[in-house]
Amino acid sequence: MERFAAILQQSILAVRAFKLRTFFCVVSVALGISSITIIVAATEGAFKKAFDMVALFGPDSLLVISGSEEARAIGQREKTLTLEDVQAVREAFPGAYVVAPSTAMPDTTIAYRDKKYQSIVVGSTSDFSRAWTWPVVEGADLTEDDVRGLRNVAILGSHVVDELFGDEDPVGKYIFVKGIPVQVVGVLSERGTTPTGQNMDNRLIMPITTVMRKMQNERKYVSVFRVRFVDQNKLIQYEEELRLLLRQRHRLAPDAPDSFRIISPKEIIKFLAALTGSLVVFLGIVGIISLVVAGFVLANLFLLSVRERTKEIGIRRSVGAKRSDIRLQFLGEAVTLTTLGGIIGFVSALGASRLLTLIAAFPIHFSWKAFVVGLLLSWFVGIAFGLQPASRAANLEPIEAIRT
Amino acid sequence: MPLCVLEDVKKTYRIGEDEVEVLKGINLQVERGEFIAIMGPSGSGKTTLMNIIGCLDIPSSGRYILADKEVTHLSDDELSVLRNEHIGFVFQNFYLLPYATVLENVLLPTLYMEHSKNGLARKRAREILELVGLSDRAKFKPNQLSGGQQQRVAIARALINNPDLILADEPTGQLDSKTAGEIMDLLAKMNEQGKTVAVITHDAGTAAYARKTLRIRDGLIVD
Ligand SMILES: Nc1ncnc2c1ncn2[C@@H]1O[C@H](COP(=O)(O)OP(=O)(O)OP(=O)(O)O)[C@@H](O)[C@H]1O
Ligand SMILES: [Mg+2]
Repeated sequence: MERFAAILQQSILAVRAFKLRTFFCVVSVALGISSITIIVAATEGAFKKAFDMVALFGPDSLLVISGSEEARAIGQREKTLTLEDVQAVREAFPGAYVVAPSTAMPDTTIAYRDKKYQSIVVGSTSDFSRAWTWPVVEGADLTEDDVRGLRNVAILGSHVVDELFGDEDPVGKYIFVKGIPVQVVGVLSERGTTPTGQNMDNRLIMPITTVMRKMQNERKYVSVFRVRFVDQNKLIQYEEELRLLLRQRHRLAPDAPDSFRIISPKEIIKFLAALTGSLVVFLGIVGIISLVVAGFVLANLFLLSVRERTKEIGIRRSVGAKRSDIRLQFLGEAVTLTTLGGIIGFVSALGASRLLTLIAAFPIHFSWKAFVVGLLLSWFVGIAFGLQPASRAANLEPIEAIRT
Repeated sequence: MPLCVLEDVKKTYRIGEDEVEVLKGINLQVERGEFIAIMGPSGSGKTTLMNIIGCLDIPSSGRYILADKEVTHLSDDELSVLRNEHIGFVFQNFYLLPYATVLENVLLPTLYMEHSKNGLARKRAREILELVGLSDRAKFKPNQLSGGQQQRVAIARALINNPDLILADEPTGQLDSKTAGEIMDLLAKMNEQGKTVAVITHDAGTAAYARKTLRIRDGLIVD
């Protein structure tokens, strides 16, 4: 053990002595390790983000959206889901504890005194807060009486409150929505921005009956409805049953596409994977290429170094170094260099990812995992590419080495 | 039992198809405490002989016994251990590690000891540097020293593991005659303190320090 430590000390001595070799090896390894560290951190960030989003969406929830995928793709907003569909789902799924329809009116002008603002009006049942796990933090939620009575009441998203009221308390005040006076009864908690950049807090919630009858002149169709199940493990099965039920109700031919879309937590993960996937693949290729390049830089500089240091090897052998001692020393030099490169690579990855999150809002999460992966990879490169030069050094015949 | 016994040692080198016999049957005994010089013209096989005595190489045929151990059939690792414990080399070109300090150079053989004790080794290295007159140069790098001083460091390195035999191949070849004299005085002093010393040289002046001179010609010891 003492011998092992003593020989590694010789490695460090040499790393400090041959500065140019050290510089090139460290820089090339650092480049490779930093891009791989970013990948690991980005993958972890994406997972964490997906996990957060699923938690926000509700791991026990399905969201059914009006209109076929094709229609949505060309920007049409056809309405296909009806209040009867919602009622039928409610009856068909006793395992669902919430079935909440809602309808949306984007780009609606709302006003308070002399201030005007464009927002989304969402018509919902008294289940809104429960359906979206979105608590009302001031005032009160919508009630069943509000819905039944087509009352002109609203709960506001926090962004709308900021825009219209500033520091003023909005609860009890009247605002105008499409010219109709509406009383504010509550305020929703803050929810932030989606990965697509939509501000979730720019909305106000009103009874669905009020929105449909008084603002949309609509008696039948809704935009979406949300279903939450007691047993989230059966979600995939429920999704299929729900699809069949709606297809049947809409009398779709067997080969016709769905006239609606079901969004499940699975879908959200897919979406995020697509968002981050291409960058991860790009960085992955860059990282692997630069690590391999770093490996070859290291191997070649070490072969050169072994040739230059033939006499040193001869001297060490003449005073009693075994082949294994020489091999250990050179491997130690290689691993010391790549470890330095790994650490510098990790630090520069921290900096680079800061930049990446700033310009691309890319989810990056650093943890000990990224650090450990980087460190192990740098050791691997050091050993894999240092082994051949180290063995060449070890296999020099002492008399040949001492003669040159 | 003498320290070194060589019986009919031959060494042939292969160069492509040809076999060149460099040592043609050396018989030699070195007693403990001796100071011998080996002289001979260039190419006569002096360095080849020293490599075999120093366990850097093994004979092609014949027997070599060092400190009661038969060397002829030892493995590479076993030869390394023998060199580490029994031999101290001094070379013509000093052969110090350029990037290590004087003290680190002197300590080099202790790194490869089977059971090294770092603290003890450092103390001993300081004592030996004192002995060769370089205690104030411990932190210097070799290129900050004169040739004579570098050779003293090499001698200190050869002494650190308390070997049975100091083997010096042309130790004065790179030095002016005054410095050469100082180096030979130092080796003679070591011999007086009980070390066995073998010096290989062209130079009769250098050989004169030894108590016995062997001449080698064409791979054979003459007279
Ligand atoms: N590894 C080798 N391969 C082939 N031939 C060798 C090898 N080593 C030495 N020789 C040859 O053996 C002969 C003796 O060499 P050696 O180095 O022992 O001579 P030397 O007496 O030390 O000479 P010098 O005084 O010039 O140092 C030379 O002819 C040399 O060319
Ligand atoms: Mg010679």
